[in-house]
Amino acid sequence: MPLIRRAFHPGSQRAMASAAVLVFAVFAIVMLMANFNLNYAVNQTSDAFDVFHSQMVEKNGVSQIVKESILAVAETATTQSTNSLQTEINNRLAALTFPDGGSLALSGPNSATTVPTNGFYPSGTPASASQPAYFSPSTYTRAVAGMGNLFTSLVTQGPAADLGRITFQFNRVSGSEANDSRTYTVNADLFSVPITNLDVVAYGLPASGQVPAAAPQLPSGFIGSGTSCLVVTSNNPANDATAYPDLFNPSGVEQLPYQYRNAASFSWNAYEYIWSTAYQDQLIAAAEVPTSANLPSPAPQGSVYDFAAAQEPVVTGLTSTGNAITIDCSLVTAPIIEVVDSEGIGSVTVQGSAVSGIPFVLIVRNTAGSGSQTSVTFSGNNLRPVLYYFENASLAFSNTPQILGGLLLDRTSTVTGAFAWYGHVSFYGPANPFASEVATVNDSPAVKVALEDIAPRVLLVSTNSPYTPSLAP
Amino acid sequence: MPLTSRRPATAGFSLAEMIAGFVLFAAIMAALTYGTASLFQMQARPDVTYQGSSYTLAPSLTDFNSAVSLHAAFAAAVDASDNLIVLGGVRTHPVQDANGPSATLKLSFSDTSLPAAAACDPFSAFSSWDQKSVNASQFSSDWSSNPDPADFTILTVQGLSHITSVAQQRRYTTTLGTGESVVMYQVSWQGYSWSTGLPVATTAYSYRIYYDAAEDVWAIRPGVSHYWYRTDVAWDRDQEAPSRVVFADPYVLAGHDAQAQVSAVSRFVYFLPQCR
Repeated sequence: MPLIRRAFHPGSQRAMASAAVLVFAVFAIVMLMANFNLNYAVNQTSDAFDVFHSQMVEKNGVSQIVKESILAVAETATTQSTNSLQTEINNRLAALTFPDGGSLALSGPNSATTVPTNGFYPSGTPASASQPAYFSPSTYTRAVAGMGNLFTSLVTQGPAADLGRITFQFNRVSGSEANDSRTYTVNADLFSVPITNLDVVAYGLPASGQVPAAAPQLPSGFIGSGTSCLVVTSNNPANDATAYPDLFNPSGVEQLPYQYRNAASFSWNAYEYIWSTAYQDQLIAAAEVPTSANLPSPAPQGSVYDFAAAQEPVVTGLTSTGNAITIDCSLVTAPIIEVVDSEGIGSVTVQGSAVSGIPFVLIVRNTAGSGSQTSVTFSGNNLRPVLYYFENASLAFSNTPQILGGLLLDRTSTVTGAFAWYGHVSFYGPANPFASEVATVNDSPAVKVALEDIAPRVLLVSTNSPYTPSLAP
Repeated sequence: MPLTSRRPATAGFSLAEMIAGFVLFAAIMAALTYGTASLFQMQARPDVTYQGSSYTLAPSLTDFNSAVSLHAAFAAAVDASDNLIVLGGVRTHPVQDANGPSATLKLSFSDTSLPAAAACDPFSAFSSWDQKSVNASQFSSDWSSNPDPADFTILTVQGLSHITSVAQQRRYTTTLGTGESVVMYQVSWQGYSWSTGLPVATTAYSYRIYYDAAEDVWAIRPGVSHYWYRTDVAWDRDQEAPSRVVFADPYVLAGHDAQAQVSAVSRFVYFLPQCR
């Protein structure tokens, strides 16, 4: 008993020492805990920031899925999916795997199932268009700021039609942290843009032909001041001398960065469609419809002049002498005239109009193949906007005429002579028909407006997914 | 009296106990001193003042928290922008400014709109070099002098002309009164809300840190590296690829161990496209 009393006596030196050691131990533990908490706080904050970044990347990926799904079913292209929009989205989502074991699913009840129709001449009615503005709505469009410059740089080149916004919701369930589960909202803004809004396009045909390896060499002054031009070429410096190897992957098949998606829609896929048999047949079907412009005509062709036909229609403004015809643009009243030259025996003179007028479509379609082009001569200035399609034609300009309209050349058409064009010119990039011609293409807002209802339209899509950072105080 | 010859039980320690106690006490004190010193050295190192601003020795938890807030706001502004203007760094143009370091806008730059850009061809927004040219008149009085390779200015823009935020990074080198050579990083971000149609400054964020100069060693140095897809005068295609942007990290002890196989990497690294 005395020993026990001694050991716990408050005044004993041993007890004092033990208390000191205890205090030091507690202090040490507190310090270690503080250090641990410090490192833990840094670790947790870093993790939270990583999650924030991951979600930011993920929701932008979902936006891209929505955009590609819309384009799959509605892009101005030769091939469109017959699946529903939701099926397209779900197919893309099904290809994703998540390391955390979570899931990402389209929230059905809140999501649109159809894409607005991008109708255009001649098979559909084009939506009304107006010049978009960035920060205020125009007559037929919303303000476009916030839709991304890759989108707005194309949309603001001329009048465009706003097809509206469709909204999708996705449920993201985290497999590891319930708090990381969230809902992504994706807004898709759809615009219908006339192909003629871009002044100069050197297009590519990725399915039926080639895409331009490098931009065509154009004569000095061809692209006038203020003229927009578009070409999408290879990023391989070996193909395109203007390209840099900075981010180019030399192994495997070349893949363009997604930055070029809208431009490829506009300058590749749309032209595949424009020069497809399907669209060209729509044009000829439209021209075959009799109108007051080609009556009285005993023939069934409407405004289709076929050099191989036994009987030709009467078309106001069109006169013929043997295999030569003249189209006087000042006299034409039909909305569309098609000249068919299946044997390569005809020649066409386009006589300009000194005054403006209602725009119309003029097509010269030669299916005779190489070596048998249809000769087309432009005579005089033409102030009446015309949308020209030339298939396998040899165009000749004399006396540097000034011409308003849209000039669409297929891959085999050729050009000689100088001219000043006001409006749109597009040609097959890999076969540059202007290499040695002294010509100028000028921007013309008035021509863009004139052609907006008869030009093919490109569907452009901008998607975004708003994100409010929860980390910022 | 054999009992009286013994030391009383409450009289004190034996010599051996005293020596052992002293050794134990010294060891504990040494451990505590070392641990405490390490912790406080990490968290309460002295601030220094440079050009009127206070800089905290890294790693700094306080500045790390500020950095996370700043980068959350910055990332959101980038995400909502139509295009970026990234000034400073190396290779702002692969031919005309191949090596850098290129000039940035002064820290005092506080413009909220770009009138010249509002009227430009939107295809001219495909590179910061183009934007620099378009807005040359406006920027002319705001260029910084003697830029450091780590310096940069990033403007997030909507609709070509509305500046929605300005991010700045500066790196300075100086010698303290103690003779210690140090490197300082200053990062700031100011957002602008246009929800009312007029620019309204939102919460600003910043952090300022410094390192011993010998510790300013990074696997990827802070600053901007510009990359390019192409430059094409004939077709007006100055197409800049995403830029690699590295902000200083307040909680990375850059280059602390010179023998380490892996150098420090900032948490705040971005690959920023010029157009979205």
